[in-house]
Amino acid sequence: MPSIKIDGREVPYEPGDTIIKAAHRAGIDIPHYCWHPGLSVAANCRMCLVEVVPPPGKGNVMRLDVLRWDAASKKYVSDKKPKLQPACQWSCDDGMQVFSESSPHVSEARKAVQELLLLNHPVDCPICDQAGECRLQDYWLEHGRYRKRMKDEIIHKPKAVSFGPTIVYDAERCIVCTRCVRFVEEVAKDPVLEKRERGNLGEIFVAPGRTLDNNYTLMTEHVCPVGALTAKDFRFKARVWFLRTARTVCQGCATGCNAYLDYDPRSMKVYRHRPRENAQVNQYWMCDKGMLSYREAHERRVLRARVGGNEVGVKEALEEVKALLAGVKGDKVAFVLSAQHSNEDNHALVSLAKGSLGGADFFLTGRAPGQADGVLMVEDRNPNTAGAIQVATTTPPRQMSDLLEAIKNGRYTHVIALGAEVPVDAKTLAGLERLKTVVIAAHEGPLTRVAKVVLPACSWAEAEGTYVNAKNLAQRSERAITAQGDSQPGWQWVVAVAQALGHKIGFSKLSELRKSLSGAPTAASASV
Amino acid sequence: MINRTKLISRTYDLPEGHTLAAYESVGGYKSARKALAQTRDQVINEVKAANIRGRGGAGFPCGVKWSFMPKASAKPHYLVINADEGEPGTFKDRTIMEKNPHSVVEGCIIGCYAIGAHAAYIYVRDELHLSKERLWQAIHEARKAGYLGQKALGFDYPVDVFVHTGAGAYICGEETSLLNSLEGRRGEPRLKPPFPAQVGAFGCPSTVNNLETIAAVPLVFEVGGDSFSQMSALHHLKDGGVRLFGVSGHVRTPGVFETAVGLTLRELVYELGGGPLPGSKVLGVIPGGSSCPILRPEDVVNAPDEKSPLHPWHGKPVFDVPMGVDTYRALGTMLGTCCAIVLSDKADPVLAFHNIMRFYRHESCGQCTPCREGTGWIERILDKLVAGEATMADIDLLHEIGSNIIGNTICAFGEGAAMPVLGFVQKFRPELEAYVNSKGKSGTGRLAL
Ligand SMILES: Cc1cc2nc3c(=O)[nH]c(=O)nc-3n(C[C@H](O)[C@H](O)[C@H](O)COP(=O)(O)O)c2cc1C
Ligand code: SF4
Ligand code: SF4
Ligand code: SF4
Ligand code: FES
Repeated sequence: MPSIKIDGREVPYEPGDTIIKAAHRAGIDIPHYCWHPGLSVAANCRMCLVEVVPPPGKGNVMRLDVLRWDAASKKYVSDKKPKLQPACQWSCDDGMQVFSESSPHVSEARKAVQELLLLNHPVDCPICDQAGECRLQDYWLEHGRYRKRMKDEIIHKPKAVSFGPTIVYDAERCIVCTRCVRFVEEVAKDPVLEKRERGNLGEIFVAPGRTLDNNYTLMTEHVCPVGALTAKDFRFKARVWFLRTARTVCQGCATGCNAYLDYDPRSMKVYRHRPRENAQVNQYWMCDKGMLSYREAHERRVLRARVGGNEVGVKEALEEVKALLAGVKGDKVAFVLSAQHSNEDNHALVSLAKGSLGGADFFLTGRAPGQADGVLMVEDRNPNTAGAIQVATTTPPRQMSDLLEAIKNGRYTHVIALGAEVPVDAKTLAGLERLKTVVIAAHEGPLTRVAKVVLPACSWAEAEGTYVNAKNLAQRSERAITAQGDSQPGWQWVVAVAQALGHKIGFSKLSELRKSLSGAPTAASASV
Repeated sequence: MINRTKLISRTYDLPEGHTLAAYESVGGYKSARKALAQTRDQVINEVKAANIRGRGGAGFPCGVKWSFMPKASAKPHYLVINADEGEPGTFKDRTIMEKNPHSVVEGCIIGCYAIGAHAAYIYVRDELHLSKERLWQAIHEARKAGYLGQKALGFDYPVDVFVHTGAGAYICGEETSLLNSLEGRRGEPRLKPPFPAQVGAFGCPSTVNNLETIAAVPLVFEVGGDSFSQMSALHHLKDGGVRLFGVSGHVRTPGVFETAVGLTLRELVYELGGGPLPGSKVLGVIPGGSSCPILRPEDVVNAPDEKSPLHPWHGKPVFDVPMGVDTYRALGTMLGTCCAIVLSDKADPVLAFHNIMRFYRHESCGQCTPCREGTGWIERILDKLVAGEATMADIDLLHEIGSNIIGNTICAFGEGAAMPVLGFVQKFRPELEAYVNSKGKSGTGRLAL
């Protein structure tokens, strides 16, 4: 493999790599604002300038005339400096030497760029949502640490401009790196943002007659390296340094975007989703629906057990389940798996059915399909359709319509279901009300309304789980917050039900469950 | 002795000199016929031998630039002529468009043939209405005469020429910005590589030539490449032929003059330009458009090294050095567009400096940080200086900001904006300091006399 040297360290590269790409892969950070691995190269911020010595025989470094002031002699003295190159634009060449941290010329250039970027910057940090994860702040600490030398009023520009339903723009904070412009054009395929004016009056604007309202508006905030774009949803809600994060899988659709779920550990409140890079799944992005779906950690939640619509304690609920299911024959029970629940939850229900109750009639529910957007979002709005099907192994689950048909024919007396969402409306479910139905669900939905007993499950935010996406990739999602209300992981409720019925289910801990899951895909085969 | 010539400007004094009839009366379109009878490579070699250095500012050899074009490619090739002429103090291309537009059309035919293009776009600065009109007239005449079209001049080679109106931004004179503007995009310089010869206009291989460069091309085929080059006193430096020199500012007879390459600044200012205005002296000369660092009459050549192109003038006044691309680069300034701006001692150099830097702040496209913010900061400091509000510490920032722009930007606008800063602070530091000490009252307070 060909290689370059960065500050003396050998760094291999792939043909076509720029210096910053090769460095990025090798875990070497070259400071940058405008470069983003998922976007085209603009090379406009000039923060990534490095000194490049071409391989022997492939040209010389151009030397440029600059001027210094010699305070002692009170005279200008001519000096030379090497021509620096932007690492985000310059291609690697075998044997090339790059000086980044080790070049005084590079330090000088970076310091200058940093100073210039802050020249007309409002430094609103105390009221800026970006504070704490802002490159201007980070790089000032690394490359700046000077006092501001321009003491005049900064150039004032529009602040708090609404770009659309989700995004607010602050032109004073904007460093016109055009990441947002490139994102909407190249990834969202909706070129609604452009730059206008020139020189230091430049700003970003929305195409006349439009608002920023595609499926990926929140990504513009995410790619913005400073606080120029903020999300209406997150504005002034939290300071990021109080937040902790968990590596989760988005529950919005079968793409299974990798996400960070940020929460405040003091209040156990979830504040936002951010995309987590995964080249095989979502690259660097998430859609707006997915980004905002963090709210589901708190919204529409089932937090207490219910019997006949009345809230009860965990113990009473289990007693009711026991009474309901006492002596029931497995073949009289419809087992409803959920495309919204993890492999672990579904596997527990399958184990209860096959091992404890001797049933084998599985059905699959989940959210009704939506429209695919050709970027990330697919029709299937459930995170684990593939996983639920795989977990049922030799007894593939049938569709909801089959269940309704069977109920009409008096096939079942009982239903045990995971999840509350069904792809049909509540009226169609009327037949279920007559049956003895136990539903284990995290959210309110059509099934919780018709159930005799509802058991509160943890949402994805409160439980570890494995989800298999549309591309058959099993991915592990971490727990963020602690369980809310009386909720427990879905699989744990199944174990409790089995125990209440006096059956053995073969596992009582997550690790044991996962062992029994082997065969079906588990996180061991997942690449997260 | 000034070697005045009348080649590029041969129709300037003819009645109706811009017409086809006038152009043909002095031998017009014979060169294109000669060129199209040769092979592409022969044409390029002839132009290489002529040592025409680009007249848009950078002085790159025209023939060499043409040779960068791919020999065969799946995509069409384009010739793009830069007539944006936005550099302050520069007004030479305009005279060609108004008074000798057919030389441009003929140059385009030869240029297109040499680079394998069938279309040339002339990108003309918006304000130059007569220029656009005259170019279109010439194109229509040439089409009618069969010089342009499917069979240019009767040869089996299609060529057509179009005039495109710019939208009034200096940055659109930078070649890649011009290409963006030509395509209807925001006029911002592109990243290089790829260079225009690889990916130029509409994604196709293209050559961008300055308008005077292309207007000089027919002359090469009239006298032969080498003979053309030999007309120059700097033939040995591969800086050939004749060119247009402009002089403006505080001189008695400002204007555009054609001479052989090798004219000195002294000749341009004191003879062709008629010397300083009555009762005044020359304080300094910006030699080739506002981007070029200013030279002062008392500046002396310091080139003890025998290998320096300047060595023959070691110890002599810089005003006596022949104006060439390499001689001027070695002087630490630039030949640029070869249009000098003369500053009188009755004018205020600080105001001149301020004026120039206002221009660069206004015209920076704003794409890259050092230029966008640097030009703005410099302008602010000079605003304050002129208003009597600056401190010594502010003056000490100027060269540093300039030095941090140089080499760190996407396009050469950055250098163009920063080099005059380094020039002015070096040559007028006492005047700048006096402004601080006197709270803005030390200068003559006048820029126009
Ligand atoms: C900021 C900037 C402005 C420029 N303006 C012009 C211009 O108005 N006319 C021009 O011919 N070249 C201009 N140039 C130079 C062009 O980029 C290019 O080098 C030139 O058109 C090439 O032609 P030549 O090789 O024939 O000189 C400018 C360059 C820069 C960096
Ligand atoms: S963008 Fe960054 S530096 Fe600017 S105000 Fe916000 S946190 Fe502070
Ligand atoms: S809004 Fe943000 S991403 Fe867009 S150009 Fe400005 S700084 Fe860059
Ligand atoms: S140097 Fe100036 S004009 Fe050129 S691209 Fe950068 S900001 Fe634009
Ligand atoms: S990261 Fe902005 S110029 Fe390279």
